[in-house]
Amino acid sequence: MLRQPLSRALALTSPTRAAPLAARRFAEQVQARPDNVEVFIDDQPVYVPPGTTVLQAAAQVGVEIPRFCYHERLAVAGNCRMCLVEVEKSPKPVAACAMPVMKGMRVKTNSDLTRKAREGVMEFLLVNHPLDCPICDQGGECDLQDQSMAFGSDKSRFTDIHFSGKRAVEDKDVGPLIKTIMTRCIHCTRCIRFASEVAGVDDFGTTGRGTDMQVGTYVEKMFLSELSGNIIDLCPVGALTSKPYSFAARPWETRRIDSVDVLDPLGSNIVVATRTNEVLRILPRTNEEINEEWLADKSRFACDGLKRQRLVTPMMADSRGNLTPCEWEDAIVAAARALRDCPPDKLVAVSGDLADAESLVALKDLLNKLGSENTCTEQYFPLEGSGIDFRSSYLLNTKIANVEEADFVLLIGTNVRFEAPLLNARIRKAFIHKETDVALVGPKVDLTYDYMHVGDSASIVKDLATGTSAHEVLKRLESAKRPVVILGADQLKTQEGSALLAYTQELALRLQDKLQDKNWKVLNVLQRTASQVAALDIGYKPGVGKVLEAGPKVVYLLGADAGVVTRESLPKDAVVIYQGHHGDVGAQAADIVLPGAAYTEKRATYVNAEGRAQQTLVAVTPPGKAREDWKIIRALSEVVGERLPYDNLDEVRTRMSEISPALVSYGDVQDNNYFAQARALAQSLQKPVSGKLDVQLKTLEDYFMTDSISRASPTMAKCVQAVLKQKQSPY
Amino acid sequence: MSVAKLLALDKVAKLFNIIKQNGGIRASLYKLYKQEELKDGVLVGEDKFGNKYYENPRYFYSRNRWVEYSEKVHLNYDASQVPAEWYGWLHYKTDLPPHQDPSRPHYKWMAEFTENLSGTTGQYTPYSTTRAKIEPWVPKPKTGA
Repeated sequence: MLRQPLSRALALTSPTRAAPLAARRFAEQVQARPDNVEVFIDDQPVYVPPGTTVLQAAAQVGVEIPRFCYHERLAVAGNCRMCLVEVEKSPKPVAACAMPVMKGMRVKTNSDLTRKAREGVMEFLLVNHPLDCPICDQGGECDLQDQSMAFGSDKSRFTDIHFSGKRAVEDKDVGPLIKTIMTRCIHCTRCIRFASEVAGVDDFGTTGRGTDMQVGTYVEKMFLSELSGNIIDLCPVGALTSKPYSFAARPWETRRIDSVDVLDPLGSNIVVATRTNEVLRILPRTNEEINEEWLADKSRFACDGLKRQRLVTPMMADSRGNLTPCEWEDAIVAAARALRDCPPDKLVAVSGDLADAESLVALKDLLNKLGSENTCTEQYFPLEGSGIDFRSSYLLNTKIANVEEADFVLLIGTNVRFEAPLLNARIRKAFIHKETDVALVGPKVDLTYDYMHVGDSASIVKDLATGTSAHEVLKRLESAKRPVVILGADQLKTQEGSALLAYTQELALRLQDKLQDKNWKVLNVLQRTASQVAALDIGYKPGVGKVLEAGPKVVYLLGADAGVVTRESLPKDAVVIYQGHHGDVGAQAADIVLPGAAYTEKRATYVNAEGRAQQTLVAVTPPGKAREDWKIIRALSEVVGERLPYDNLDEVRTRMSEISPALVSYGDVQDNNYFAQARALAQSLQKPVSGKLDVQLKTLEDYFMTDSISRASPTMAKCVQAVLKQKQSPY
Repeated sequence: MSVAKLLALDKVAKLFNIIKQNGGIRASLYKLYKQEELKDGVLVGEDKFGNKYYENPRYFYSRNRWVEYSEKVHLNYDASQVPAEWYGWLHYKTDLPPHQDPSRPHYKWMAEFTENLSGTTGQYTPYSTTRAKIEPWVPKPKTGA
């Protein structure tokens, strides 16, 4: 099976194309390397493994060769010719990005010939490039601008005195996220390579040749990918720019704040660009262990949802039951009275998708002080057996980066492509470059790569776990050296959830015990939300079913917008307090609304699906009267009369570290153990299962609007419309 | 030159006269506190806001006409509290104060005089033409309540 594009398959395989990971330490991977060869870059000697390209060898001694088409995470194309360098004894300059090093090679990256070659290439590029930098959105972060300053000629021979016109190309329509100005395109083909290699949507390509060459989608078609925004970053010129951000700001006007994304469970690292207290755009930040340098579309483009449907003032229900704005004092006093007058066993707190660890801790402490143990999350997780006692039971134990090393991936009841797009990109990377095979138990969905579809009934998992399955997958799993089993957390909310988890644990541990590599973890549970892992670490009970049956008097919703707590499921006289940042399902059901801060507005801790704690930083201030979430709960505790013993963020984090040190060890992820104990406790739960596995997010239009921020985002709404429209099209 | 003048006793007499005209030591000190100046003069007139206008040709030109602001504003007096009709007399555009000048027109459409309201709650603020950065959530009214 030819998994990669032909050009890539035929190209020389370079061993260190992606940046090496610190986390790799699997014994048998360390192969006996052939001896390094010595090459000279500008007379500096450097030892590199054979097969390294001249460009990479030069990078090792700190010599940066200009390039447009070369990108370290994409296949080598070698078509821009900007990286031409002089090699001694070579009659012509060679393309450094595609030329493997040879022993004793002497490369001159700054000789007259090299400079003349670059100037020539630059001149040709600029002849066919419009001079519209003043109105181009790439201005200030444009590779062509920078490199023409650094490496271009100081004078021009372009004298179009007859105005015969430069090359002009019709713009393409590839959806509501990407704006194309194809006249600016320099044909580097990075977008084409990204689409076919990483995104797995092979829609882009070139037509024509020479001056008639065009990059496009052949027929007018939307770029139907959840990773489409990355081609904006990849484009070295302004041919592909962001539609929502068009003409909004220049890069030197914005302030950039490093932060963490919370719209999917992976916690991708992001940079929030702000100006005048407004989030303008979100860009990815390189983190090899999570998102590499990509970012999913929802994380990137849902930021305009942060400006709409916001809760900006406290609100209370008036005598007719309509929410009306009020002062903080009134809202806090009313909430405190409700909490104080409530019998402890009738007091319930429910945390939602986007709750941060600080506010989760503060809320749990407050409820515990009031005598209530009813703190729970919206997402369910089976409590039978070891439940949430072992961290290994609810985390991605293999870790995101290590999925690349797997040789067989079994997905159970999860559509990774939309639940965690960048994890899917990793699996696809392994599928293409490492010959990894993938099998899926669950409904048939498009994962952007081929997989074995085992079926969608839960009993398949049972058969696999007990070793009675006749399917080929069982044999493949057992013979795999580094298998990975990923279970979607959504499957666990049904009646059979605990049995399914027990079987998955049994299967994963049976495989893990047989592995030579004792450090390899097989069992993974993919959570759906950014807050769930932190909530379980802190000790929230998963699921609201039981506490709602008990008929609570006061319900404190901490950003709970998934709609599992509704007015109908509560007694008539129950008081609902909602704390959060968006007016959505939760706020509509509430009697008292306390406006909190969104993830760009507070310094807060989130734990991703691997169990890695990361913190967001304050990019903008919370709007109106909104305040940081843990501070609201702290203020409330004072009025209730059960003062929480922390006054600043450091003290809250000290408290968090008392609960679990993992919550404050930022950027770090611990290896999990106690698999065997969890398995032993789950033995009795292996009951027959008969249901069918189904996933919530099946196709692209389901992906865009899943939480209160993306539901408020007009861009995301446009995406859904555009995908639905594309489905009508014959292409 | 009389002895009294040589000994500058006329100046002392003038001082006593000023204090007397201003209503005694206590009232004089209060006026000094309020307007940092104590003068004697002829009361030329009073406007409807209670400001009193004085003249004393003994003082040199430009200091010889002045206004003492109404007691109602206490220390918050400022020049914009002088109404338009007295402005001319105070600034030597005319020697006839408004109530002695028959040629001044009085039309129905003439607006009531107002002082400058900048810095107070009554100040003029133009409405904003920029869109708000944050669109707040508006709760749906409960039906059937």
